[in-house]
Amino acid sequence: MANKKVGKKDITGLLEQWSQQFAVFAPSKENGVAEMLKWDGQDTSFLDWYRNTVVPPKASFLPPMEEMFRFQKGKEGYNIEPPPEDENKPLIFGVRPCDARAMAILDMTFKDAYEDPYYLSKRKNTVLVGMGCTNPCESCFCTSMGTSPTDPTNVDLMLIDIGDEFLIEEVTDKGKELTAKTKGLKEATKDDEAKAKQANKASYDRVTRKLDTEGIKDRLLASFDDEEFWEKTAAKCISCGICTLLCPTCYCFDINDEMVKQEGARFRSWDSCGFPLYTKMPMENPRQEKWRRVRQKVCHKYEFYPMTYDIIACTGCGRCIRLCPVNWDITQVIESVPTKTEARK
Amino acid sequence: MTVSDTKFFAQGNVYLPHIAVIEKIVEETPGVRTYHFNFKDEKLRKEFTFDSGQFGQYSVLGTGEATFCISSSPTRPDHLEFAVQKVGKVTNALNRLGVGAEIGFRGPYGNSFPLDFLKGKNLVFVGGGIGLAPLRSLIWNVIDNRDKYKKIDIVYGARTPADLCFKYDLEAWDKDKTVNMVTTVDRGDDKWKGKVGVVPKILEEVAPSAGESVAIVCGPPIMIRFTFPVLEKLGFKPEQMLTTLEKRMKCGIGKCGRCNIGNLYVCRDGPVFSYAQIKDFVSSEY
Repeated sequence: MANKKVGKKDITGLLEQWSQQFAVFAPSKENGVAEMLKWDGQDTSFLDWYRNTVVPPKASFLPPMEEMFRFQKGKEGYNIEPPPEDENKPLIFGVRPCDARAMAILDMTFKDAYEDPYYLSKRKNTVLVGMGCTNPCESCFCTSMGTSPTDPTNVDLMLIDIGDEFLIEEVTDKGKELTAKTKGLKEATKDDEAKAKQANKASYDRVTRKLDTEGIKDRLLASFDDEEFWEKTAAKCISCGICTLLCPTCYCFDINDEMVKQEGARFRSWDSCGFPLYTKMPMENPRQEKWRRVRQKVCHKYEFYPMTYDIIACTGCGRCIRLCPVNWDITQVIESVPTKTEARK
Repeated sequence: MTVSDTKFFAQGNVYLPHIAVIEKIVEETPGVRTYHFNFKDEKLRKEFTFDSGQFGQYSVLGTGEATFCISSSPTRPDHLEFAVQKVGKVTNALNRLGVGAEIGFRGPYGNSFPLDFLKGKNLVFVGGGIGLAPLRSLIWNVIDNRDKYKKIDIVYGARTPADLCFKYDLEAWDKDKTVNMVTTVDRGDDKWKGKVGVVPKILEEVAPSAGESVAIVCGPPIMIRFTFPVLEKLGFKPEQMLTTLEKRMKCGIGKCGRCNIGNLYVCRDGPVFSYAQIKDFVSSEY
């Protein structure tokens, strides 16, 4: 496998080149929080400050708010107008392995039973360029969740920091096609490969938070009716929903109509199982109490998703820990789930 | 898990509704109406098929979308029906529509009652209130193929005589000598001559035999919760108890997240479940 490399000072040129062919997205703090925004054509200062985005890159495929179709009411009744074909070819630069794995997890839901045309068309058109983490956060626990700070599995190209340069690993055919057409890349040497290997090991060792998920599915099943445990677990939660809205594997959405005079549109927008309205029906609400909603969040990721798709819907990105206003910590919760013999019903 | 069937997609997109026209409105009780409708597109009107137990996503465009089962039987295909109680945003908007108004429909979604499993068995239908809507699709389906099934018991109840839905069906099934129809109300009035008592209690009195039988239960969650223990007492095994569940839904196709019971989505894996499938979660999630 002949890997490529590019100098750090040449990243601006690289992104300029790719911008001719793609809509390039890169980490930006333009709106106050780190997120993947359309690259402005010059700024690569993110190379210095970027650890991970606050808004996960899922927002590129499942936007916080998205128009599904428009409709008009005329003399002949309603006319429904499908959304225009999305001809954008996005390239997301700097995706972290935890978020790339999260996208592979989201794909399972959006491909299952009925294909979701909005998510999948964007996903198909997008090139993911990953970037290994050299400086993981204290809240990160990716190495316990089937990935690592430099895992290339779910991206098209993977960049590994080897000092003044990035080693570029060509992961998919899409990635190979892209590097073949890219000018100015150099062949990586044996020495570069050795440096990358070393860098991977060092990054891996910097993820100090560990989570033992052995038998978690069965422990959660046994503890499902343990109200005392769930009440205690949910006690400090303020139902703000941030741990779900900004979770890279959370995909829940709401659907609403807007109409002015004779024209309208249907939208979908991010929603959260943390909100009581999420499941509210006119006569009943199966999750009125907070502990039921917290239970749903934990069980969906660590019990239900594994039951259906044989994978835990958490990649250890640590956002829910970093961003929680009351320091609720999923790793502490998972470790404290009672075993079958401890669970109270 | 249901297999993706794209043949009734509008414009090739699962989220786009078909336009349908309301042909008739039946006042069932104060607050509950049945809507008869047909697709505007003639080709779809001829080709559309569904199975008893499946549901649709119905739009009042500009107001929103809501989930209702198809309450008519596929054995009577000249039009489709759904029944709703006026309780929320979309159902109130529906209530303002008259005959000739256009609505949106996408579906059919979800699994259906397992006819092959039911064939040759005694069927015990247990319904409460508007919960009779999905059951009546199956009941008419079974009556239209009467020789394929054995004994039919129907235990149906509502709070008061005025709250009984589908009275014309109840009368027809009462007259049908091949059906044992038992109607009950929680509170009677001067004119009421039928049984008085909640559905689970009356079911215990009727005491259908569990041998070669399947019970099909639908009603408000509280009725469902109290009916399963009665059936167990009568000797029904969890595999012999079917129900069709209702949850808040948005997408109807297993994406938007909210209608799960444990690892099962009511829209994608249901809405028809056996008690065996859901008993681990149903006590505290429904």
